[in-house]
Amino acid sequence: MLPRIKGLFLASMLIGSPSVAMAAESDEKIAFFESKVRPLLLARCIECHGDKKQKGGLRLDSRAAWSKGGDSGPAIVPGKVDESLLIKAVRYRDKDLQMPPKMALAPQDVEILTEWVRQGAIDPRKDDAATLVPSNTAKWEAEFQKRLDWWSLKPLRAVEAPKEVPGAWGREPIDRFIAAGLDAAQLKPAPPAEPEVLLRRLSFVLTGLPPTAALRERFSNDVRRDERKAYEKLVEELLASPHFGERFARHWMDVVRYTDTYGYEWDNPAKGSHEYRDYLIRAFNGDLPYDRFVREQLAGDLLSPPRIDSEFGINESLIGPMFYHMGEHRHGSSLAFNGVHQDMVNNKIEAFSRAFLATTVACARCHDHKLEAVSQRDYYALGAVFTTPRWTTRAVDAPGKNDAAIRQLQSLRASIREEMAKTWGEAAKEPDAWPATAWQKLLPAKGAKAVAIEEISYPLARLGSPQEDVAKTWSALATEWRTARADRTKHNKAFTTLADFADPTIPAGWVTEGDGIRFGHVEDGTPLIALEGDAPFARLLPRGYHTHALSSKLPGSVRMPPDHTVSGQRVSLKLAGGQFGGYLEMHENAIQGEEVAFLTNVQPHWRTFADKARVNGITRVTYDFATSSLNPNFPPRTGLAAGLPNNDFGFDKRSWISIAGIVTHDGNGTPLDALDAFEGLYEGAVPKTVDEAQQRVSTWFARAVVRWCEGKSRPGDHQILDWLLTNKLLPNAAAPGSDLAKMLAEYRRVEQGIEYSRTVNGMDERETAKAAYALNVRGNVDVVGEMVPPDFLQMFAGRHGVAKSLGSGRLELANALVQADHPLTARVYVNRVWHWVMGAGLVATPDDFGRLGEKPTHPELLDYLAKEFVREGWSTKKLIRRLVLTQAFRQSGIVSEAGRTRDPGNRLRHHYPTRRLEAEAIRDSLLAVSGRFVPKLYGRPIFPPRVAEDGSKRLFAGPLDGQGRRSIYLQMSIMEPPKFLVGFNLPDLRLPTGRRDETNVPAQALILLNDPFVHAMAKYWGQQLVKVQHASPEDRVLAMFAAVFARSPSEAESKRWTSAARDFLSPGHVDLMKDEAAWAQLGHAFFNAKEFLYYR
Amino acid sequence: MNPNSQSCSCPGRIGPSAGRRAFLQQASLGFGWLAFNGLFATPANAAAHHAAKAKSIIFCFMDGGPSHVDTFDYKPMLKKHEGQKIGVSAVSKRSQSAPERVWLGSPWEFKQRGKSGLWVSELFPNLANVADDLCVVRSMTGELPLHGQSNLLLHTGRSLGQAPSFGSWVSYGLGTANRNLPGYVVLNNDWVPNGGLENFGSSFLPASHQATMMRAKGAPVDNIAPKDSAAIQRRKLALLAEQDAAFAKVASDARAIDGAVANYETAFRMQTEVPELADIGREPEAIRKLYGLDSKDEHQRYYATQALRARRMVEAGVRFIEITCPSFDGNNSPWDQHGMLKVNHEKNARVTEQSVAALITDLKQRGLLDSTIVLWAGEMGRTPHTPAVTANCGRDHHVNGFALCVAGGGFKGGTAFGETDEFGNAAVVNPLTVHDIHATLLHQLGIDHTKLTFRHGGRDYRLTDVHGEVVKALLA
Repeated sequence: MLPRIKGLFLASMLIGSPSVAMAAESDEKIAFFESKVRPLLLARCIECHGDKKQKGGLRLDSRAAWSKGGDSGPAIVPGKVDESLLIKAVRYRDKDLQMPPKMALAPQDVEILTEWVRQGAIDPRKDDAATLVPSNTAKWEAEFQKRLDWWSLKPLRAVEAPKEVPGAWGREPIDRFIAAGLDAAQLKPAPPAEPEVLLRRLSFVLTGLPPTAALRERFSNDVRRDERKAYEKLVEELLASPHFGERFARHWMDVVRYTDTYGYEWDNPAKGSHEYRDYLIRAFNGDLPYDRFVREQLAGDLLSPPRIDSEFGINESLIGPMFYHMGEHRHGSSLAFNGVHQDMVNNKIEAFSRAFLATTVACARCHDHKLEAVSQRDYYALGAVFTTPRWTTRAVDAPGKNDAAIRQLQSLRASIREEMAKTWGEAAKEPDAWPATAWQKLLPAKGAKAVAIEEISYPLARLGSPQEDVAKTWSALATEWRTARADRTKHNKAFTTLADFADPTIPAGWVTEGDGIRFGHVEDGTPLIALEGDAPFARLLPRGYHTHALSSKLPGSVRMPPDHTVSGQRVSLKLAGGQFGGYLEMHENAIQGEEVAFLTNVQPHWRTFADKARVNGITRVTYDFATSSLNPNFPPRTGLAAGLPNNDFGFDKRSWISIAGIVTHDGNGTPLDALDAFEGLYEGAVPKTVDEAQQRVSTWFARAVVRWCEGKSRPGDHQILDWLLTNKLLPNAAAPGSDLAKMLAEYRRVEQGIEYSRTVNGMDERETAKAAYALNVRGNVDVVGEMVPPDFLQMFAGRHGVAKSLGSGRLELANALVQADHPLTARVYVNRVWHWVMGAGLVATPDDFGRLGEKPTHPELLDYLAKEFVREGWSTKKLIRRLVLTQAFRQSGIVSEAGRTRDPGNRLRHHYPTRRLEAEAIRDSLLAVSGRFVPKLYGRPIFPPRVAEDGSKRLFAGPLDGQGRRSIYLQMSIMEPPKFLVGFNLPDLRLPTGRRDETNVPAQALILLNDPFVHAMAKYWGQQLVKVQHASPEDRVLAMFAAVFARSPSEAESKRWTSAARDFLSPGHVDLMKDEAAWAQLGHAFFNAKEFLYYR
Repeated sequence: MNPNSQSCSCPGRIGPSAGRRAFLQQASLGFGWLAFNGLFATPANAAAHHAAKAKSIIFCFMDGGPSHVDTFDYKPMLKKHEGQKIGVSAVSKRSQSAPERVWLGSPWEFKQRGKSGLWVSELFPNLANVADDLCVVRSMTGELPLHGQSNLLLHTGRSLGQAPSFGSWVSYGLGTANRNLPGYVVLNNDWVPNGGLENFGSSFLPASHQATMMRAKGAPVDNIAPKDSAAIQRRKLALLAEQDAAFAKVASDARAIDGAVANYETAFRMQTEVPELADIGREPEAIRKLYGLDSKDEHQRYYATQALRARRMVEAGVRFIEITCPSFDGNNSPWDQHGMLKVNHEKNARVTEQSVAALITDLKQRGLLDSTIVLWAGEMGRTPHTPAVTANCGRDHHVNGFALCVAGGGFKGGTAFGETDEFGNAAVVNPLTVHDIHATLLHQLGIDHTKLTFRHGGRDYRLTDVHGEVVKALLA
C-alpha cells in the first residue's frame, strides 16, 4: 500500500513543476501497474503465459516478452488500444480470440487493462524471477550459509553425562550435569526441600491442584516408613492422576494459542475446539508419544491407520489438525478485501514455527529474516503448505460407530416398505374404488397460483375446471405434454450431466464426508420414515443423496472441487435441505468462508454456482454442501441464521441436505423436468366423459403404485406417489399392534439411539491439488510476486519430501520433524517440559531458539535429554518422571548468599524457585480448598461469569463458580476471555505463548480481596467447615492449614489464626464453631495469604 | 518464580534517572519489580526523549466511523450531483464502492465557525463553538474498510492487531504520575468494540500497562468496592501482614512476596481513591450542566459522566484516557450508519458532542488544555455515496479519505489540514496514515516514536511499526 500513497503524495505535492510532474506521473503509473495490472495479470493470465507455460508462444511476464509477442505477433502496442491483441482478446468480442478462455474478465478488469495500454503500458518488470524474489540470490546464499552456523541448528550431540560420584547429586545424570555447572561456579545446591513442601510443589507441577487431604495423609504415613520410596510412589500416583492430563494440556494450549471462539467482530464459535482440548487431555494422560502427537496435529487427517479411541468412539488423529484452526479468524474474505487471508495465514505460520521449531519464521513475511536462516521465500512456501488443504469440518467419530444401527435402520426401512407395499398393492387392485373424486377436492381454488406443467395436479386442474369438452381438453393436454417434453429434452441437451444418481457414483474430484452421505444414496421412491406421528412415511424421496434418508442426526457433506476445475462456467446442483443444512462458499486460503446459505426447500431445486474470478492471491473458490454439523461456519455470525438463537452454538442438531443431480453448463438456466411422470397417461383413446377421464387418471395412478409395490418404478413415478402420499390419497397408517406399527416403533427406537456426530474443524486434503501462495513483495499484499509452491524451510533442505509431495506436504513435513536427528523438535519440546516442571527453561525463551532468544544454560544437558527423550520413545511422562526425581527438582528454595550474588538469575539451578500459581491453578485451588471442586473431565465450554452480556457477540454470562469445574473448561473467548484468569496473566489467546508473563500488580490484590467468586468460595468453605466436628478452633485452623498450605501450623500460627477467627465472630453469635460467616472470613484471609498464591 | 519473564531488557523504554535504572536492574532479577514498575512508576515525564508539550491524552473514540462529509469535510459537490452514478473512477478498494452507486449530499448544513472560519456542520453545534481550538485532519487514509481491522489499526497501529494498544505504549513509556492510579484508563460500559478487548490490551507489553476499565453505571471498576467492612478488612490485612512476612522469609525471593504485599497497601488505598475520582457528584452544577449531565437521555448522561471523569483523571495524573461511545440501538458499532444516517448520526452526535466540547472548554478554563490532548476520531469515515438515495439511506465503510480532529496539547487550533477530492472520496492533498497521527501524538508527549520499542518474538516492536512521520504542520 505504501507505494500508492507515496504516489499520491508526489502527485499532489508536485503540481506546477512540469519536469517533476512528469516523473510523478510515471511514478503514479507504476503504482497503477503494481496495484491493479500486475495482480490481474498474475491472477488471470500468467498461468498460461508465464515461465511455466507459454500458450501460443506468448509470455506476459515482462515488457520484452509481450513486445515480442507470441505466434500472432506483439500482444500489446503501447498507447494503441485497438491494435493490441491482448485487449482484443479480453474484450471477448471476436469469437476466435477470447481470453482467458474459460471465463471473460469482469468489465472493470478489462477497463484496467485498456487504461494501462492506453497510457503507454508502463511495465517496470524486467525479469520477474529476479526482481520479485529477493531470496535465492548469491548474496542471500552466502548469508544463509553463515546463519546456519548456530547452536540450535547443529545436530544433537551424543553427550556423556559427567561421571557418577557418591552422594545424592552423583546418581542421576541430570543432577550430575547440574552439579558440574554449580561446581564450576563454586556454588552449592540448596538443601533438600521438606517432604510437605515437595508434596505441594509436586501436586501443583503435575496436576495444577493442591494435594487432597487423603493424599497428604497417605504420603506422610509413607514418609515415616521410607522417605525416598514415599516420594517415588507420590510421583507415580500424580502422574497417573487424570488431572495430570488437564494440567499439561493447558500448558500445550498456551503453545498453540487455544481458543473457543474466533474473535474479531463476531466471536464465532471455533467448531469443535473443546474436542481438541479433550484430545490433548487424553493424549497427555495416555502418554501419547510426542512424535505421534506432532504428526497428528500437523497431518492427523493423512495418517494411516488413524488412531482410534474405542472407549470414546473417536478418531483421535482427525482431531489433531484443529491445531491450525486456533487463533483469530478475520471477518470478510480476500476476494472482497485483500489482506484478510494473508493476516490469518501469518498467524498459522507463526504458531507452527514457534510451537514446533522455536523459530521466528513470521519475521520473514516482508523480507528475508534479518537475523535467522529464514528467507522470505521460506515464509511463503510454508504458507502454500498450509493453504493447500481445505480448511473444513471433519466428523471425528470412530469409523463404523453407527454401522450396526444404520444396518438395522436400512433393514427396518425395507421391511416397512414391504409391509406398506402390501397395503398399497391392495388399494391399487381396485382403481375404480380409488377415491376418484377425492383428488378433485384438492384442486386449487379459483384465483390460486396457476399449477405448473410439471406438477402432478396439472392435468387434473385442467380437467377439473368447468368442462367444455373433455375430449378436446384431453387432446390439448396430450399435445401440450408431447411438445413440452420434446422442448425440454432439447433444452436439457445444453447441460452436461455430472451425476444423476441412477447409481451412487460421486463425480471425480468431489469429496464426501459423514455417514449421512455414506448411507444417503436412495433410489427413486424410497420412503423417508417419519420419526414421529402415526404415519410411517414422511415422504417418498427422489433418487439422489439425502443425508437424512435414515436419520437426520447423521452428518453429511459434499465438497465441490475448485470452481475453475469443474468443466463449464457454471455448475448447477439440484438441492434440498432444512434445519440449517446449506452450503458455504470458501475462498481457498481464506481459512473459513463467511458466505453461508441455508436451504429451506423440501423438494430439490436447481441452484447455479458460477465460476468466480480469483484475485488477491486467492487460488481457488470452492463450495461445501453440508449439514450444520459439518459446516465450518455454523453457527455463523449472529443474525445470519434466521431462527437460530444467539446462544445456540450448534451442538446436537438435526439437519439435512439432499443432492438429486449435478450438471455443468456455460449458458444461463437450469435443466427442466422432462415430464416423465405423465408417460402413459395420454396413451390410447381419448376419453370422452369426465368419468372416463377420471378412470384414466386413476389407472395412471394405480399403475405407478403397482410398479412401486413390485419394485419396478419408472422415472417420474415417485412424483406421482409422493403427490398421492402428501395429499393423503394413499393409506399411510400403522394400525396399533400391527407388524407395521412394531417395525415403525423399532425404527424410531434405533434412530433415537444414534448419537449426534462429533465434528471438529480440521483439514481435508482429499482430491486437492497443490496450491501456490502468492509472495507479497515487501509484505505488501497488493504487490504480488511469484506464486510459491509448498516447501519446507531451506535450512532443512534435503531432509524432507515436502516439495515432492503430491498434496500439501504436511505429512512429509511432520515426518521430517520427528526424525530422531532433527536438530530442533526434541530440543524444543524437552526444553518446554523442563520449563513447565522447573519454572524456567534451559533455554529461557522456549519459543525462540534463534539469535534473539537466550542461549541454553546447559547445552550438553539439553542435548542429552533430547537424545534420551527420543530413545525412550518420545514419552512425555518418562521425561517428567526423570525431572521430578532429580535432586535439582527436590531441592529447597533457600538461596545462599553466594548464589544470590553470583547467580542471581538462578541459571545454574542452585535452588528451586518459589513460583506463583498460574491463573488457572489459583482459581482451581479456590474450588478445591473450598470443597466446591467438581472433578469431572471433558465437555463443552462453560461461560465465565460476566457483569454484562452481549448476545450479538455471543458473550453470555455463566455461573459464578463455573459449575465447580476446572478453569480449563471455561470458555476461552478471544473477544473477552475469563476476566478472573486475565487478571493473573492468562496469555493472549491469539499468540502462541511458551512462557507466560508473571505480573505482580495491585489489581490482583483487588481481585483476591473483593471478587465475588473469591468471596463465594470462602462462603462455601465456611459452610462446609461448620459441618465438620472439629474439637476446637485450633483443630479447625489445623484442617484449614492442611487444605490451603498442605502443612500444619506452628504454634504461633495456630494462635494467630484462631485469634483472628474469634475476632470475626458474627454479631449475635455465641458459638464460634457454628458461625459460618466467621469461618468464611478466615477462609477468605487464607485465600489472600501469599503462601496460597505461591508454592515453593 | 520466573526470572526470565523479567529478562526483557526493554531497550526502548525511556530511561529514568541513573539511580532508578540501577534500582530497576537489581529489582528486575526478581519478579517483584513490575509492582514498582507499573503502578508505582515515578512521575517519569522528566526523562522523556525531548521536551514534552503535553502530559495526557483523552481519546474520544467515535466507534463505527462518523461520516467525514457530514461533519468536518464540506463537499457542496455532493448535493449538486446527488443521485448521479459515481462511475468506475470513484471505485476504491479502501471503500465499499461500486460504479453504479450514487453520490449523496449531506443532510446537514455547513457553516464557517469562529474567528478561524473552520467548516463544521450543524450536526455538531457545540463543537462548532470551540472551532478555534480544533485542529482538523481531513486527509486520513486507512487500509481496509472493515471495522475490526480499522479499530485495531487505530488502537494498535496494526490492522492485524496482536500488538499493544496506543494507551499501553503511553503507559509503558511514561508510567503514571499518580502511584495509586493506572496509566491507562478506558471509560467504557462493558462494551466490547469490533476487534475485541485487544483494542485496549497490552499484548506483549507487561500486563500492568493494559487498560483499566471504568464503567459509567454500577461499580465503576471491577473489585474496587470493598466487600468487607473496614474493620474486617483491616483485621484480615493485619493477620496477613504477619503471615506473609513469615512466608517471605522462606520464599526464594522475598522481594516478590514483598511486592505482592505492597500491592495490598496500594489496593487498599485504591478502594477509596478510585471511587472518589469517579465520583462526579460534588462537581458544581454549572460544570455538570456544561457536560450535559442534566440530559434526559441516559446515554448522554453516561457519556457526560465519563467525559467529566476524564478531566478529573487528567488532573489526577492519568496519562491516557479513552472514552468509548455508548451503543444504544443494538448496533454492532455506534456510528455505523449503513442506513438511517440522518436519524442515528444525529443521535450519536447528541449523545457525545456536547460533552467533548465541554471537555475542551473546561480544560481550557482550568489552564489544562495546553498540556492535554483531546483526540476525536473514529476508525473510518463513511462513503460519500450510497446505493440509492432514499429517506432512510446511509453511508458505508470508507477509509480512502476521512477526518479526525485534535484539540489542545500544542496542536494548532482553528485549522484544517489535508484535503479530499471535491466529492470527499479520496484524500488528495497531504494524505496521512494512522501512524503519522500516532507519531505526532507521541511527539507531543515527549516521545520519539522510533525510539519507544519493546523486544518481542524476535524483534523490536514500536507502535508505528516501520511507518509514521511527525506532522509538524499540525503543531502550533
